[in-house]
Amino acid sequence: MIWVENVLVSSGEGGVYGERMLREFRVWDPYRSKLAAYYYLGGEFELKRDLVVLYLGAANGTTVSHVADYAGTVYAIEFAPRPMQDLVAVARRRNNVVPLMADAAQPDRYAPLLEVADLIYQDIAQPEQVKIAIRNSMFLRDDGRMLIMLKTRSIDTAEEPGVVLEHSVSELATARISVLDTKWLDPYHRDHAAILCSPARN
Amino acid sequence: MQSYWFGDVDENGCTPYRGGPEALAKRLETIPSSPDSFTPFDWRNAEKCSFTPDRGEYIRKLRELCFYLSEAGITRQYESRDAELLQMVRTLDQLDEVSNVLTERALEWHRITNPGFSRKYMRLPKQKLLPMMKRGGSPAFRQVINEIENLASVRTALMKEVSRRADEVLPNCSALLGGLVAARLVSQAGSLATLSRLPGSSIQVLGARTALFSHMRGGTPPPKHGIIFQHRRVHNAPKEVRGKVARVLAAKLAIAARLDQYRQELAEEFIETAQAAIDNAGSIT
Repeated sequence: MIWVENVLVSSGEGGVYGERMLREFRVWDPYRSKLAAYYYLGGEFELKRDLVVLYLGAANGTTVSHVADYAGTVYAIEFAPRPMQDLVAVARRRNNVVPLMADAAQPDRYAPLLEVADLIYQDIAQPEQVKIAIRNSMFLRDDGRMLIMLKTRSIDTAEEPGVVLEHSVSELATARISVLDTKWLDPYHRDHAAILCSPARN
Repeated sequence: MQSYWFGDVDENGCTPYRGGPEALAKRLETIPSSPDSFTPFDWRNAEKCSFTPDRGEYIRKLRELCFYLSEAGITRQYESRDAELLQMVRTLDQLDEVSNVLTERALEWHRITNPGFSRKYMRLPKQKLLPMMKRGGSPAFRQVINEIENLASVRTALMKEVSRRADEVLPNCSALLGGLVAARLVSQAGSLATLSRLPGSSIQVLGARTALFSHMRGGTPPPKHGIIFQHRRVHNAPKEVRGKVARVLAAKLAIAARLDQYRQELAEEFIETAQAAIDNAGSIT
């Protein structure tokens, strides 16, 4: 990852969503992007040029644009038409972004368009979030990684975030996905946790 | 054999599909979706495929197809019959807000220029209050009042349009609830498709978010009604049966929403029995 004066940045064409520039780099704000927060808190999974990324919940494509600055190819899945309009505009300016308008909960609908991915990044506000991640793990390479941004308040508003995280981790374990690391994204995002996991080896 | 967007791949090699994005999109729909037996395409095994050796070309073609699909998908979503109704009813509710805020401010202004103004004028209906305030104000002030009156007529026109459109798009929900409240219900749910998949119990408390979450977090009693409170049979019902009326109405609305979504026409028989059931719930025995 590129740091300039302790600020996380990415190199690419600016002016995607009004982001600040630092020298010739685009500033990646941890308060806006959960992935940026993950790196500010010492997240060790590095994005590299040779990675194929499956991005679930691409929204307006702000974080997608930064991921695309680092990674090889980004498959960006978004369901709602309004953010999709912005995402398509972002994808037009970055030729390694493939925009897909589809429901991440139904991977079989877009499976023929995808390829095996090195990283699945998920940031969706659904109570079924973990189940959806597990369903999509069919696209993951055996030595690939899955990074789940767990929105504990979307999963259960009433339950303690810590308990929701525990449940989610054991749900992943039942699906033979082993959790490598978990991180709370405080103070950048409240009640959000990052879960780094990988398919368990047989 | 496995089918992908660019062609079929089996142990003998690859049969690419020909054609532009449109043809590929049509072809894509014919690929059976079976999540259990599907093997995702792996670029590392791509050498079998005569079409794919150049990754740049692969991604370029795929992007072309995906832009086509995305744009078609966005258009399809916006074309759904309820999309415009949703914007109309949200505009209507926002018009109300704006008009109320402006009226409040104008009142404060008026009060300062008229020492004799007192609380009793506040109880006047807007239609009487505004002309009264207009007398004697400065030209700019009168213009503001004119604008508020204008907003009121815009609102009336828009409300008629909302009711008419709701009768068309949501015939069954409108028959039970009235066009305006039915449209608000759809607006709160997000779309008719979403509303039609909600259980009656969710429809009952749609629009009572704060009360519902404070109940779930602990302590407070659960809300009896959300938006459907605006329907006369709910807010006119005696307090002890209001929850019951709301529950029955919501249950019938769940059915009505499904009729609107999938049958798209008025089901008179259903409306009759539903009305009877709701009236029955409201009568105290």
